[in-house]
Amino acid sequence: MRRTAFITIPALACTLLVSVACAAALGPTGISPGSLLSLPNAWTIIWDVRLPRVIAAALVGCALAVAGTAMQGLFRNPMADPHIIGTSSGGALGATIAIVLFAGAGRPVFAFAGAMAATFAVYFISRKRGKIPVETLLLSGIALSTLLAALLSFLMYTAGRSLHQIMFWLMGGLWNVSWDDVIVALPILVGCAGIYLFARDVNILSLSEEDATHLGVNVEGLKRILLVLSALVAGIAVAVAGSIGFIGLITPHVMRLIVGPDHRLLFPAAALAGAILLVWSDTLTRTFTNDMPVGIITACFGAPFFIYLLRSRMKT
Amino acid sequence: MKPVEIIDIDVSYGAKKILEAITFHADAGEILGIIGPNGSGKTTLLKAMSRVVARDSGEIRLDSRNLDTLGYRELARQVAVVPQDISIGFDYTVRDIVMMGRHPYIGRLASETLRDVEICDHAMHLTNVAHLTGMSIHDISGGERQRVLIARALAQEPKILLLDEATSNLDVSHQVEILNIIRDLTGKITVVSVFHDLNLAAYYCDRLLLLKDRKVYATGTPEEVLTYENIREIFQMETLVKPHPLTGRPYILPVYTHQSGVGTNRRVHVVCGGGTGSDILQLLHAAGFTVTCGILNVLDTDYGTAMHLGLPCVAEPPFHGITPESLSGLRECLDDADAIVVTAMPIGRGNLDNLRVLLDYRTKPIILYSRNSNSPMEDYTGGEAAAVLADLETRGALRVEEAEELLARLSQGYSGRS
Repeated sequence: MRRTAFITIPALACTLLVSVACAAALGPTGISPGSLLSLPNAWTIIWDVRLPRVIAAALVGCALAVAGTAMQGLFRNPMADPHIIGTSSGGALGATIAIVLFAGAGRPVFAFAGAMAATFAVYFISRKRGKIPVETLLLSGIALSTLLAALLSFLMYTAGRSLHQIMFWLMGGLWNVSWDDVIVALPILVGCAGIYLFARDVNILSLSEEDATHLGVNVEGLKRILLVLSALVAGIAVAVAGSIGFIGLITPHVMRLIVGPDHRLLFPAAALAGAILLVWSDTLTRTFTNDMPVGIITACFGAPFFIYLLRSRMKT
Repeated sequence: MKPVEIIDIDVSYGAKKILEAITFHADAGEILGIIGPNGSGKTTLLKAMSRVVARDSGEIRLDSRNLDTLGYRELARQVAVVPQDISIGFDYTVRDIVMMGRHPYIGRLASETLRDVEICDHAMHLTNVAHLTGMSIHDISGGERQRVLIARALAQEPKILLLDEATSNLDVSHQVEILNIIRDLTGKITVVSVFHDLNLAAYYCDRLLLLKDRKVYATGTPEEVLTYENIREIFQMETLVKPHPLTGRPYILPVYTHQSGVGTNRRVHVVCGGGTGSDILQLLHAAGFTVTCGILNVLDTDYGTAMHLGLPCVAEPPFHGITPESLSGLRECLDDADAIVVTAMPIGRGNLDNLRVLLDYRTKPIILYSRNSNSPMEDYTGGEAAAVLADLETRGALRVEEAEELLARLSQGYSGRS
């Protein structure tokens, strides 16, 4: 455990609170504390439009970061992330089915089911003699994501939905978020708390599966629980905000550099950092870029980071 | 009540049988070594004991309790495993790794207590890694990492410690250091370890289990298991098995046999003694000569070598002069031999007849072989032996100092007469 760890978590928590406050104040209509009193609809903008959106962004960012951290530990593979291995595509397809066939009823449930099916499919496709090599994990994730995205586009297209809606599921965005969506997103906190209970087990599992068995970890049971919980939080995140990439990849890496590999610290640090990252990404897009999908922003700094990781792995 | 009992277990991977009808037990506080050639199922047997690999049939009992009835955490409190080496993907510190050994004792909602910290400190002290506590597991040497893994296993406070060739990636000094640590633990802990190195197994184990082709081939003390016959049968290799001069345990010297075949259909008799003939006996035997030797005292090193190689040897009991019966045995050998080699052996009254008898074989080629011209034959006969040798030389016996030259002379059918 590193000395910086104890400062990092409170510092991140404070940063998140400040970020939420700033993000609520920032936007196309600048609202200063003074104008809250003078402008009649200022409260409405803050309370009904911005605050649910900022809180949803924080929850979704937290969900993606925690799911990414859990998957990296679980697969013993630092390239894992809900977007890359197809969990998000599965969730997006599930949500689309709910929209097209059931007029949106049970959207989070369908997203969760889709996310879980996709996650387990990639897990079983890429597993070879108890190991999950980087190459097969990435390739099977890409193959499955491509297939799922095609199915999603097909469903949307034949149902006569606009390109804008297809784009939402493929790239993610928070432009229609209301308080109802925040309520849908709340189980993310339960899922993350559930994952946190297994932090010590993930530490041990990140050595090797056999070693974890020797140390008293029920490896198969743990993997199932973690995959279900990761798919749960990632699936809900997708149901609320579409499939936003790279938050789950970058956050655990950066936090591991700061707090070390111990998941008892890494999970909370990644949760807070993921929330901060998405709150600011979303604020950026709605303030300066006329509300383009936030996935474009995260991909813009996420993809180069991904390439950097791949290159540095090749060197070793 | 035995700490470990294995009763008639079978293990297979898919359709492939790995272990068949394995039955054995370990006694409390002993080191039991598992040895055998590659692919004989050693590691799988260890994995069956730690329940990483499932059995087809049979039963494993720990302290009379069925292995299958233990929970994951309960099992980890009974049995700890030290793997050969593990690649640790993330940058944990030494203390993080050792503390993982306490996992089976710490509840899901609890965190480690002062007692857990003390147990880890003690384990790190025993394995001499206390000074590495805050270091990254990636920044320490292979030997240190292996000691850290042993500390982690000890932090589990196990009754049984399983080692899977835990030292075979290390150099000799680290192997010995780690095995000494392990041996200091016995009495408190029962150790079952897979060994690759038979000599380390012989030295450190109380008992050995020898596997061959998925089955138990032999069990018992190192002396009982590591016999010349067993090793030849299992590893298909010629060895010399001798008591270690310091420990009395069996010590195995591999014989790097190379069948050149130059000596096929030729007989050579070697007159040697005091260990001066061992290399020649081995060399000629390997080259395909039909070798006989003698007359030797049964306590002589050369006699031991001849027995290991399975060579006919005329021998006498210790401190016994040469009897007429032996002498006629020697004459029979000499009659049949195509050539005779005499090594630079020590000669006293007791074996002088070995030389004298050669004077009767004027027509046989005789080679006087000494490995090193600076160490001539030790003569304890007051010059008599030297006189016989000089006589032999005047009659055409040849002095040779190189093993290669000796081999060349013998295979060319050197006649010795000009």
